[in-house]
Amino acid sequence: MKHLLFITLAFLSVQLSAQQKQFSKDDNGKFIYYKVVDSQAVSKDTLLQRSKSFVNVAYKKSMTQETVTDSSVLAKGTLVIDKTILVAGHPSGEVSYNFVFEARNGKYRFWLTDLLFIPYQRDRYGNFVATTKIGVPLERTPGKLNAGAWKDILNSAYNKIEKFGDDFKKYLATSKVEKTRKKTETISTKKW
Amino acid sequence: MKKLLTAIFAMASTTCALAQETTTSPLEISGSVDTYFKYDFAKNPLNGKTSFVTDHNSVSLGMIDIALKKKTGKASFVGELSFGPRGQSQSIPDAAAGGSSFNIQNLYVNYDFTDQFSMTAGYMGTFIGYEVISPVGNFNYSTSYLFTNGPFQNAGIKATYKFSDKVSLMAGLFNDWNVYSASRGVSAIGGQLMVAPVEGWTAYINALSGAGFGGYGTIVDLTTSYQITEKFKLGLNAANYDIKDSSVPGSYAGAALYPQFAVLDAVTLGLRGEYFKFKAAGAVPATAFTAVTLTANIKSGGLTFIPEVRLDHNSDKPFFNKSGALAPNGGQFSLAAVYAF
Repeated sequence: MKHLLFITLAFLSVQLSAQQKQFSKDDNGKFIYYKVVDSQAVSKDTLLQRSKSFVNVAYKKSMTQETVTDSSVLAKGTLVIDKTILVAGHPSGEVSYNFVFEARNGKYRFWLTDLLFIPYQRDRYGNFVATTKIGVPLERTPGKLNAGAWKDILNSAYNKIEKFGDDFKKYLATSKVEKTRKKTETISTKKW
Repeated sequence: MKKLLTAIFAMASTTCALAQETTTSPLEISGSVDTYFKYDFAKNPLNGKTSFVTDHNSVSLGMIDIALKKKTGKASFVGELSFGPRGQSQSIPDAAAGGSSFNIQNLYVNYDFTDQFSMTAGYMGTFIGYEVISPVGNFNYSTSYLFTNGPFQNAGIKATYKFSDKVSLMAGLFNDWNVYSASRGVSAIGGQLMVAPVEGWTAYINALSGAGFGGYGTIVDLTTSYQITEKFKLGLNAANYDIKDSSVPGSYAGAALYPQFAVLDAVTLGLRGEYFKFKAAGAVPATAFTAVTLTANIKSGGLTFIPEVRLDHNSDKPFFNKSGALAPNGGQFSLAAVYAF
């Protein structure tokens, strides 16, 4: 019975993972991750401030701010893609992107596009490093020999970008002051 | 089976928990497996004058290579072991001697004091030269004379300072070449200047002076590669090694050029043209090799097929022809399969 349950769960996991999410395409036929977020509680100026902080503080190691206006932030960045086998894995490459954020009162939108993949290879010291500086557009159609590997890269890239998007939305919805207050909260054991 | 599954899920939970609470990276596991067939045109295995790919008319083994890496905060380690002919006696230090043990490819710890400055101590792949022991790190399956005669690995301690993404400097103290523990003390000093003048072009200027092959000597090396277009890459390696005692054979100089062109999405063709000269030493005269190697890399996921034709020449006739007489030319065909994970 236990075995049957295990097999059923494993089968369901495989089925779920087979239903993979895909990038949408923009007007130019390029992959895009695009989100419009309703944000009535946070003002336009605060959204812009938090967006700049996200680029320059939270993701400063992987993002570079390009242009800022009174309602937008443009940046470039990279996300490392992993190859995972059960509990362990290693980086398999990185995806570079252009990031655009635009704010209005009550809502904002952001998108990532110009997605380029740069494969990693293990160097002489056992570290995974970029093999080239020239990236391959994620929209390209791979040959038959590498179709499976390319599908894995697309899935991994989508998951990483989706997580990035979630992080960004959470960051913009959270006040830094409240965060600091939460960290310094103390618990007294004298009264209970 | 139940215990095994429990252990695996326990490990998975621990890894996930750590990833959420600390800056610890998951344990990285990677490696490779390779095998090859070689046919020497003169049917003589002694015609191979460089490292690895030794057997004639045989489906033979390269090595299985397994590497572990983990980073916790600013500290990290790499441990990499290889088993099989390419990773045992042919890689020089064989852990238990006799060609039946294993070779440590990397075994070191690293600490990033800042984003710019780090220190590393242990046994590492050498910083000298273009080619490496692992077939995953090379385009050609056979190796160059420069690789064969230079250091493979160095044990030591080194400090690296990264001025920017375009310039970094490494300096270190090392044991003699290719040994797990020093036979002549920590007796070599080495350094590496990395410059990346334009995007896609990286050059390493390396020097290592002290205990090495043939006694004490100094090697100066230039290793550079330039990804000129999406399809075309050009690599260059040039080196000069002088043994302090000029009567000891082993000093050399040479250069190798590595043009590579991606003809299809999964197929890249590459040429290695090399000139290599052993310098005269005492009564031993100088002798020079030229070699041309045409190689294809056909990739499918983690698997790479490497068909290769190699032609070597030396007017001093170190090769053998089909009848066993000394000859100025050697040649071979090989087909290798390398899987990286």
